Parts: sequence; C-alpha cells; structure tokens
Amino acid sequence: MIDSGQKIVPLMIVAGILLLFVFAGLLYKTREGSEYGLSGRYTGRIGGGAAIASNWMSAASFLGIAGLIYLYGYSALAYVIGWTGGYVLLLVLLAGQLRRFGKFTAPDFIGERYESPAARLISALISIMITLIYSIAQFKGVGLIFAWLLGIDYSKGVIVGAVVLMAYIMISGELGVARSQKLQYFVLIVTFILPLMFLAYRLGYFWILPQFGYGKAVTDLASEFKVDIAAPFSGFGLFHWTALCFTLMFGTAGLPHVLSRFYTVPNVRDARWSVVWGLFFIALIYWSAPAYAVFGKLIEARAGMFFSPAVAHEMADTVVLRTALLGGLPPWLIGMLAAGAVSAAFFTVAGLLMTGAASISYDIYYRLINPQASETRRMSIAKGATLVLAFLVLLAALNPPGLIAEIAAVAFALAGNTIFPAFLLGIWWSGTNRQGVITGMLVGIAITFIQPLAGGFIPLVNTLFPLTASALCGAPIVIALMILVSRFTTPPSEEIRRFLAEEVHGEQQ
Amino acid sequence: MENRGTKYDVNLLRPKSGYMKGEVSAMLFILTLWGIASFGFQFCLMLSAGPSGKSWLESFTFFNLPFHFWFTAQMLPLWFIIICALFNIFIDRLVFKESRRREGYHD
Repeated sequence: MIDSGQKIVPLMIVAGILLLFVFAGLLYKTREGSEYGLSGRYTGRIGGGAAIASNWMSAASFLGIAGLIYLYGYSALAYVIGWTGGYVLLLVLLAGQLRRFGKFTAPDFIGERYESPAARLISALISIMITLIYSIAQFKGVGLIFAWLLGIDYSKGVIVGAVVLMAYIMISGELGVARSQKLQYFVLIVTFILPLMFLAYRLGYFWILPQFGYGKAVTDLASEFKVDIAAPFSGFGLFHWTALCFTLMFGTAGLPHVLSRFYTVPNVRDARWSVVWGLFFIALIYWSAPAYAVFGKLIEARAGMFFSPAVAHEMADTVVLRTALLGGLPPWLIGMLAAGAVSAAFFTVAGLLMTGAASISYDIYYRLINPQASETRRMSIAKGATLVLAFLVLLAALNPPGLIAEIAAVAFALAGNTIFPAFLLGIWWSGTNRQGVITGMLVGIAITFIQPLAGGFIPLVNTLFPLTASALCGAPIVIALMILVSRFTTPPSEEIRRFLAEEVHGEQQ
Repeated sequence: MENRGTKYDVNLLRPKSGYMKGEVSAMLFILTLWGIASFGFQFCLMLSAGPSGKSWLESFTFFNLPFHFWFTAQMLPLWFIIICALFNIFIDRLVFKESRRREGYHD
C-alpha cells in the first residue's frame, strides 16, 4: 500500500478488539443464563435496530463505499441510496407479513409457501451462491487490512485473514459466545467516525460533525484543483445509475441473511419499528463514508499526487485506510479504524456462513436427503459446510474479480432477481404456484449472470443486464414470468391460500 | 379459472379486508414518496442541465455541499427514515382502529 513493515500498535488494537468481543460475549452469556432468563435476550426496538445495523455493516460499507466515491464521485452515491432505500421496500412490502408467516430462512419460506422441495432446493442453492459471492467481497477487505497490518502482500494477507476469521468463528461457536450486537454496532460506529473527526480537525474543517464539515472540502477541491467530485453522472450515466440503485434496493429486500433478522424481535410492531432504528444506524455510517473519499482526494491533491484511472482503481478499496495514514493519524487511531473494518467483515461473514451452512445442513440435507438425521449429525454437517464454503471463498478471494462494493453488488443482483420476486409474489398474490416460482428463480439466475456469458456477442445485454445492476430489467421479467406460468398451471392448495388470507393478511391484533 | 375459488384469494391489487385495504393504500403512498424522491430528483437533475452541462441544482450550496450532492448523499437517507416512520405510525393507528372496531362487534 503506502508503507511496509509490521504495525505493532494497530495489530495489538485489532487483536484487543476481537478479544473484547469474545469476552463480552461470554459475560453476556452467563448474565443471560442467571439473571435475565429468556426475557433477557430481548433488547427493545433500539437494540433490534442495532442488531439489524451490525448484521448489515460489512467491509462493503466500511471500505467499499468510500472507495467507489473516490473513483466515481457523485455516481457512486447510487450505492448509498440503494443500500438505504432498500429498507423502505423491505419494511413496506415484506417485514410485517414475513414476521407473521413465521419461517426463519429464505429456503424455508419458499419451501413452505410453494409446497415444493424443488423450489426449496433452488432457493437453498441461491442462498449458498449469495453467501459465496458476498463473502468474497468481505475476504478481500480482510485480506487488504491484514496485508497492511503485517506488511505482507495481498495473497498472503488474505490467507492469514481467513485463518484468523475461521479461528474466530470456531472459537466463538465452541464457547457459545452470545453475539452482543449493540456492542458490535457501538464499536463499528466509533471506529468509523472517531478517525474521521480527527481527520477533519487536522485538515481544518468543522470536526464536531464531519458529515457536514466535509462539504467545504468538496468546494475546496473544485476551486483549488478543479477536481469536481460532485459532478453528476460523470462515472456512469443516469440509466446505469437508476439500474444500479434499483438492483441494490431489490437485493436488500431479498438477501437471505437480512430477511432472517425479523425473527429476533418478538412481535410484529417491534419488528417494524426496529427497521426504522436499523436504518438510522446504517445511515450514520453512510452519511460519513463520502467524507473519507473527499478528504483522501484533497490530501492527495495537496501533496501533488494525481493517479491514472488504472492506479486509482487498484487503490480504491484501501482509500479509507490510506486517507487515515496520509492524514497523519496516530497509530492507535488507525488501529481502531482497521479493527472496525476487520470486525465489520468478520460479523458479516459469520452471519453469511451461518445462513449458507444452514441451507446445506437443514434445507438440503435434513429436509431433502435424510429426514431422520439427528441434531448432532446436522450440527457436524453444518460445521463441515462452513469450512468448505470458507475454503471456496478463500480460493476466489485470492484473485478478487473487482472492487469490494462491486462484488457485493453482484450478490444483491442475484437476490433481487430471484429471492425478492419469490417473496414479493409469495406474500402478495396467493395465486403464485410452484411452477411459477421455479421458472422465475431459474430465469433470475440466468439473467444475473448473462452479461459475462453473452455480453460479448449480444451488445444489448451489456446495457440492459450489467452484472452489478441487472435487477432493474431482470426482476420485472422474473415477476411477469412467475405470474404468467402460475396462471397457466394448477393453483396452489387451498390450505396455503387460507393460511395467507387468514394468518398473514388476516385481522390484526 | 372458475374452479380456482376466490374465497381465500390474496391479491395486492384487490385487497379485501378493511385492514388490508388500509395497509395497501399506506404502501402505495409510501412507495410513491420513495420513488419520487429517489428517482424523480435524479431525472430533474439530468433534465435541468443547461447548455454548459450544469444544472441550477448544482449552482448553490447547502450545508456546505453543492445542493444536489447534499440532497442525494444526506437528505435521501434521512427521507427514507422519515417515510419508514410515517408508514409505521400509519400502520399502528390502523391496527388500533381495527381492534377497536372488532371489540365494538363483540359488545
């Protein structure tokens, strides 16, 4: 990156914060058992919101967004809008009904709603694919940070990072560490904003709320160096912007590990309100992320560093850390920033691998292959699956196919083209049947990956279904297809239609 | 399609019960606010670009930021939070009204 060698102080802070989570989790676990009993787990709407936010915050939020704004300026705000606006769709279209439907995972919902083992299998496979793709992005973030911390090159960094990550997940699992998500969120927000305040102070901008302070830096950049970060649609045009934005929104409302979050809150009303708090906590990070990109550009410009697009692209994912280093932050503060990025990636990967492994051990193995399997057998399958998935992710992350946020966007496109339509119609139209949903999901997978497959010889595909933004055109096609096929095949059983009408959409108390 | 039986039909476009009607109209209202703010503004920005390629929306600053940048980067996430809260307030009142109505029947 910009300097080499081991960073002793930051390394100690990263290790310290990871240990803090293990100890806090153990403390939480014992307190929970003795004092609070079962009711102790529930932490209210704000706690539910913190859980949503810490589950959501990943290396893509922590490192990826700033990197894209550094590269594309205003255009990259499509990621900010997509990843916050998606929660509106999630709340308005799905949250309450999903909570009342009472199924815990995406394959479980699809399997039960459409009464079809085949639909369950396909959605489980999609869930696994999403886990893999999204985790590659996280591993890249972990790899970059570890490479910097230890002063080694990226491929070694990603291997070390993966080993530490798996050790962390295994140790937490074996000790039965409870995930104290309020603490997680607190650490993430402090480690992201404290260095930013310090940077703003160093550069002489309004530092108490750097989210407002960085505005002056945008105008300074434009007037001093003719670098206009705010120029609209300079990175990519309005159509691509809209397509990307829609894709990220649909994906947000269809990501399996996000949908699963609604079951930690005991009633529908609190589930709905915790989304509002969650969105607020997420927005706190997204209001701040552009500041890193802007300060980074300004420091570089003042030092006379101007990079070619290829070099800038190469560095984009490390912009947050680079800015902190160039800005002359003390080592402990840079260590906190690194620790925040590492924890964001760790928690997201832990949640993703859990979802992916559950798809294998529960939805595929237990429900479809061996219904007599004991609990211990399923547990060992889940553990084995976690390791295999992590290994596959590591292999792909050794040679990452793009920027962190871009890789994550592909996972969103896949979710938006498959899971989101299946949930939307499953909840809101009782006529959707298994043939419809199976056709739709298969076509959705094809649409997601059509650009790398067919983009070379059908140019229109590149415009309509770009890899990171295929759901604007893709999801409506999938939805239309699901409706069409359902119309011409046998309707779902009366039992499930009655369940939808009476339990999911019936009288509320 | 006669044998499909409409007794248990759930259709977003044809809500049946009073509660679902209220819910669907709240949904449509919030989604309109969501769509206009997120995409309408970008279209305006595009359309209002003058011959120099600059829109008047870029020409003044707000909270130190060029207005369009401030609106997209800071106002929109805040707007999403506001409309989510609005939706919840509406649904809370709807649930309350529904349960009052049902209690009335039981008396």
